[in-house]
Amino acid sequence: MEFTHFVSFLPGWLPLTQSVRHGSKAVTRHRKPMHITKQKLMAVTKYIPPKPAAPPGAYPSQTRQVQEESGLILLKKRQLKNLFQDFKMIAVAQNNGSNSEDLMILKNRLHKHGIMIKFFPNQIMQSFLNDSVYSNMAPLFFGPTVLLVSKNPKVKEMLTTLRASPQMTLLGACIEDTLLSIQGLMSYSKLPSVTTVQGELISGLTMLTSQTAVMLQRHPAHLSALLQQYIKQQSTDSTEGAPQAEAAS
Amino acid sequence: MLSLIKAAVGGLAGVCGAHGHKQGLLHNHCRVLSAGLQTYVIPPDYSDVVLPERPKLKFVNKVPNFKKAKKEMKKLRDIQGPARAGHTFTNGQYAIVALGGGYLHWGHMEMMRLTINRKMDPKTTFARWRINPPYKPITRKGLGQRMGGGKGAIDHYVTPVRYGRLIVEVGGKVELAEVEPFLKEVAKKLPFPAKVMSKEGLAAMYQQQADMENNNQNPWTFKEIARGNMLGIRKVISPFDLHNHGRFTGKFHLPGRV
Repeated sequence: MEFTHFVSFLPGWLPLTQSVRHGSKAVTRHRKPMHITKQKLMAVTKYIPPKPAAPPGAYPSQTRQVQEESGLILLKKRQLKNLFQDFKMIAVAQNNGSNSEDLMILKNRLHKHGIMIKFFPNQIMQSFLNDSVYSNMAPLFFGPTVLLVSKNPKVKEMLTTLRASPQMTLLGACIEDTLLSIQGLMSYSKLPSVTTVQGELISGLTMLTSQTAVMLQRHPAHLSALLQQYIKQQSTDSTEGAPQAEAAS
Repeated sequence: MLSLIKAAVGGLAGVCGAHGHKQGLLHNHCRVLSAGLQTYVIPPDYSDVVLPERPKLKFVNKVPNFKKAKKEMKKLRDIQGPARAGHTFTNGQYAIVALGGGYLHWGHMEMMRLTINRKMDPKTTFARWRINPPYKPITRKGLGQRMGGGKGAIDHYVTPVRYGRLIVEVGGKVELAEVEPFLKEVAKKLPFPAKVMSKEGLAAMYQQQADMENNNQNPWTFKEIARGNMLGIRKVISPFDLHNHGRFTGKFHLPGRV
């Protein structure tokens, strides 16, 4: 204060507006008001975080994820491989909410014909089919599906049995390494058995040979008959006349 | 008669043996069945933890044992900025960490001591002071006294605490969840913002600060501008800001700044 009083007497000099000390204050309860320039500096120098990286899964990963297959999956796959090797008829049916009783009855009926019902998870089925030659069967396995397998292709019996259970919808089948649709299965079931077909074939072949024998024998007989007729006509011609011989030939 | 008894004993032994064998088989079978079903969490390893003889917090003196008590100036510097000592763990795992500056009285310390000593389990836990007993004299004039007449008499003593200082350290064969409730209860009664932190948590906090400094996308930093005195900015910022790069205003810490 004394200092300001002293300088205020100087000519041409206005006294300072802030003549008293406003320096440090003992009060530390609140924040000291910040100078406007410092406020601006603080605003300018705010922390700016780096751009967040793309969320996981936004881009396909560079390295392919190789999943370790569990023992159960490997076992199931091995079972499937054996199944496709051993069984000649593998039919795929969709299981539309059949309860255990229905399934048991169906199993029992199919068992009479030596047909078995097998269940496999679709995921394992797909992965097995994609690696095997049966990859064209893969679209059949969608939703709850069951496999109807038998050692011999007993399509007719299977179709008749499945007709009794509306819960099972047949989708297709692989019979002796041939993929068949439902229509194909129907026509396959109408086919006669192998022995009858073989019999027919043999009979057809024998008929042909007999026909050729007949044909071969026919010409000389015909010729001899004609010649005999001619001789007869010649003998009659001399007696009756030409027009009668012409009508006979 | 004797042979009959012998035979009976032999038969009994045979039966016992057979029974024992069967049980063993059954036992093995059971173990195989239950093997894959349960997964146990491995408990933390406390083998290297040594509990001290006196696990509880010691009593702190209200007044230091000076020969001649001298009045001091306010020296507000001693609560400003980050802690220069006592900001790392010594032998505990969890601590109350100051997140601002302030003065601790003897009363605060008594509150902490009594609460923590009452709540903690001395068989598994120990607690240690990380602050000195009150040493800074605070003077007051008596009630109803006229102003003037020089500096007042020493009223009490306090301990200055800066940002980042550990107040109390807790360790032993315990997890954070066991000690956190009562440490939190204590921490919220302190005269500055304080937090209960584990050793890893504190390290992570410092690491995060370092990461922020490294990954800052703002080309203009307080440090560069203040050091370079750009646009004469030194006129409005204090030398204190020059050291702390605008992360503190007085005893207060400004979070999220680089």
